Amino acid sequence: MGGYMRIAIADDESDVVNYLKNLVEEMGHVATSFSDGAALSQSLVRETYDLVIMDWTMPKKDGLATLNWMQTSLQERPPVIMMTNRTAKKDISDALNAGADDYITKPEDPSVICARINALLRRSAGSGAFEAKAVYGAYTFDRIDQTVTVEDKIVTLTAKEFELADMFFRNRDRTLSRNYIMETIWRTTAALATRTLDMHISRVRAKLDLKPENGFRIFTVFGYGYRLESIEKR
Amino acid sequence: MNLRRRLLIEWALIALFGTLAVILATHWRGTSAFDNLVYDQLSSISRPKPDNKILLINIDEASLARVGKWPWNRNIHAQLIDKLASAGPRTILLDVLMSEASSAADDRALVEAMQKSGAVYLPLNFHSPGSDGKAYDTEYPLSVLDAAAKGVGHVNITFDNDGIVRRINLCFDSGERSWPHLAELIYRNGAAPSPAFAGLARCSQHLLLPYAPRDSYSEISFVDAHEGRIPDQLVKGRDIIIGATAAGMGDNYPAPFSDGGVVSGSEIMANVVAALRRDDFIASAPVWQISLFSLLPMWLLMLGFLRWQPRTALIVSLCLIATVLVAGMVALSASIWFPPGAALIGIILVYPLWGWRRLQAMSAFMQSELGELEREGEIVPLALNPDRGSDLVGRQSAALGSAIDHLRDLRRFVSDSLEHLPDPMFVTDMVGTVTMANHRIEDYLGPKLKGTALKSLLDRIVAPMHRRSVDEYLRAIEREPTGDHQPFVRFVSPDGSHFVMRSAPVVNDLDVHVGQIHYLADISALAQAESDREEALQLLSHDMRSPQSAIIALLPTVPDKDVSRRIEGHARRTIALAQDFVDVARMGESPFEGTDVLLTNLAHDVTDNFWPLAQERSVRIEVIDDSDSGFVLAEPDSLGRAIANILDNAIKFSPVGGSIQVRTRRIRDVEARMLELTICDEGPGIDPDLLPRLFTRFAARSVPDARIKSSGLGLTYVRAVAERHGGKVWVENGKKGACFHLRLPEAADPIPDPAA
Repeated sequence: MGGYMRIAIADDESDVVNYLKNLVEEMGHVATSFSDGAALSQSLVRETYDLVIMDWTMPKKDGLATLNWMQTSLQERPPVIMMTNRTAKKDISDALNAGADDYITKPEDPSVICARINALLRRSAGSGAFEAKAVYGAYTFDRIDQTVTVEDKIVTLTAKEFELADMFFRNRDRTLSRNYIMETIWRTTAALATRTLDMHISRVRAKLDLKPENGFRIFTVFGYGYRLESIEKR
Repeated sequence: MNLRRRLLIEWALIALFGTLAVILATHWRGTSAFDNLVYDQLSSISRPKPDNKILLINIDEASLARVGKWPWNRNIHAQLIDKLASAGPRTILLDVLMSEASSAADDRALVEAMQKSGAVYLPLNFHSPGSDGKAYDTEYPLSVLDAAAKGVGHVNITFDNDGIVRRINLCFDSGERSWPHLAELIYRNGAAPSPAFAGLARCSQHLLLPYAPRDSYSEISFVDAHEGRIPDQLVKGRDIIIGATAAGMGDNYPAPFSDGGVVSGSEIMANVVAALRRDDFIASAPVWQISLFSLLPMWLLMLGFLRWQPRTALIVSLCLIATVLVAGMVALSASIWFPPGAALIGIILVYPLWGWRRLQAMSAFMQSELGELEREGEIVPLALNPDRGSDLVGRQSAALGSAIDHLRDLRRFVSDSLEHLPDPMFVTDMVGTVTMANHRIEDYLGPKLKGTALKSLLDRIVAPMHRRSVDEYLRAIEREPTGDHQPFVRFVSPDGSHFVMRSAPVVNDLDVHVGQIHYLADISALAQAESDREEALQLLSHDMRSPQSAIIALLPTVPDKDVSRRIEGHARRTIALAQDFVDVARMGESPFEGTDVLLTNLAHDVTDNFWPLAQERSVRIEVIDDSDSGFVLAEPDSLGRAIANILDNAIKFSPVGGSIQVRTRRIRDVEARMLELTICDEGPGIDPDLLPRLFTRFAARSVPDARIKSSGLGLTYVRAVAERHGGKVWVENGKKGACFHLRLPEAADPIPDPAA
């Protein structure tokens, strides 16, 4: 990942802002901080950012309002990570359905936050170009043979399962909506029983043995979609 | 029996009876005495004037005294006729029977006189019964006289039942031929028949005779006329009627005069002639007309009984009686006689009859209704009070009065209850019109709600966004008043008040659904409390969490890593506790809203979350799916948390290096397809005594078993979640450790998509 990125951080809690700022700067990026949604919005008009991390609950203009404003008023909207203290799954799916690209429930481990930031920056940098072979920890994807090798063992997947797994790994640590997944893999959103996706994912998890011990887990965002999380081995 | 029906039947019977009575009275002339009385009175009101073209010459007591004993020498009659003829009368009626011959000279003298005058009329006589089985024998005048007479006619007198002469017949059928009345012949005097005669329906038809006042005709004594004391002007152009008036001669008849006196045959004759000239005989109406005339007022009254108050019926009855009499009078003045007796009988009969039957019916009805009321036992005491009425009806009235008092009290109680209900209430009928509304709703929406449409009332009290659910609720109740539907509907009014509306069908005595009663409860305070509670939960879940997150965010700057790690532990524990509390508090607050969840997927999610803890304790967790992708209809939040509580417990009590098995599988339950999630650990297991009541609050709090105690409210929560999902949870000790079983109904298959 070449060069640094410009990241806007908005939260009314200065300690959290500083914590995130340190984290982002340690990653080699440039962080600009704001204490409320209005200030962030003002800056977004003039400046260009590669990523926005903002709190849901902010004075003057809260996260959702800012997000809506960005949807309608900015020509090119940077990806947004919504941070929230809310844990109800409905709140999370609401935020994502409102257009947030991802969300983080506070408090979250620094490693997870970094992974999420990277996932979004990867996307906005346009990376993920098709290489014949890709290695993610113990998993090796051969895109020509459409096979996955887990620690030297070849796992046989159907075409759809391979596509699904490949998509998750390329977008690891990024929350993908069900619609996005279905559009990409099945090229349709309609006419596909929602259970089909759940069952495919369940099979991919079983076949690839995706679990924290192997460095990855599939996380279900109920009411929205799925995310493949990379687990940092302690 | 229904009072109304019974009264109708009584009414019909009375109408039938009255009609029969009237018709029979008309046909059998049962009221003739009364009718005659009325006729006499009515006809005396206005009598015709005497005809001054008629002169009566009376053979009176004075004449008998002078001339001698009757029968007189016919020569005397001849002399009088000669005298009269010389004065030029129009006709001379010699109303004396001359059927036997007297001396030939006298007879001849009379014949000559008659021939000379050429204007003498003689009467016929009839004997009844006649010889040889004939009805009558005709007694002609002496043939010579007969030949000399200008005309011969009958002079029969017809007596009514009471012996009074009211009617005459202008024509008499003797069985051999029909004879015109002598008066008719005088009327004609050789010219055309009278209109009255021409108008007779049949020969024997009687006509009522209008009498001029008694003794009003010009009359002179026979002896005066005979002796020439009569001016010629008195005779000239007149019809002379010579007849007997002397009391002893038997030619006097009772006539319809109020003073009850008699009139002479010749006066009757004079009246007949005069009536012929005036053409004002009074015809009795035909029987069918009389029947109709008699029935009409009764029928009118009968119809009136169905609608009028008894008082009105009485007044109308009296008016009808008067009307019948007046109508009779009017008809009489138009020369038609309607006997009013039958009509009056009809009226006088049905009025008391109806009064009696109606009272009887009412009485029976009251008795049965009161009995009914008593049997239902809702209004007590209802004992008849014997002191308060002298007769049965009086006692019933008293009982009815007290029943009505009770009902009035009851109604008052009901209306007061409705009125003073602390919440708005109104009633609508089947077409959706408000028929009743208490003060509370009128305070809210303004007065005069009664009569407005339910729709417009709802428009005013229900905010548009809630209108649909209210309408659906009302429709559901209307469709199936007693069926299973949601017990109430909740809505917000345009001014922001919160209401719960409950509607119930109103059913009448016959179990017919007649309307709806709607009860609104103002739950604004409750709604406020709800939102306060939500705010409090929000505070716990979010606002309390926020500083804890900030603490954790600050930790990297703490130099002592060990302290930092412990602070983080405490902060996270605080967050977890708040989360626990909120989750438990929230559960059950909203209706169950499940989504399709792949059970093994959820098991993986939860298990993966526990990986750090498991790793710390070197516990291996294995997730096995034997359910072949079984879905449950679940709330992922609560169900995930329930599984997490079980798993947390399992990890805590697993030996280091132990393994936990999380297995999902299908179960063929008796009634439904079920999925079962089993979590088995290799820990010490659970005290068998505790197994049955493990998931109760009691067990959670008061059991010395560390394992149960440590789970706190966790297992209670698990059971609540299982029940919320229509499933159950239990625990047993397996081969190695405890096994928790969570059994849930499998989600129904989705409707297959044809395009898939």
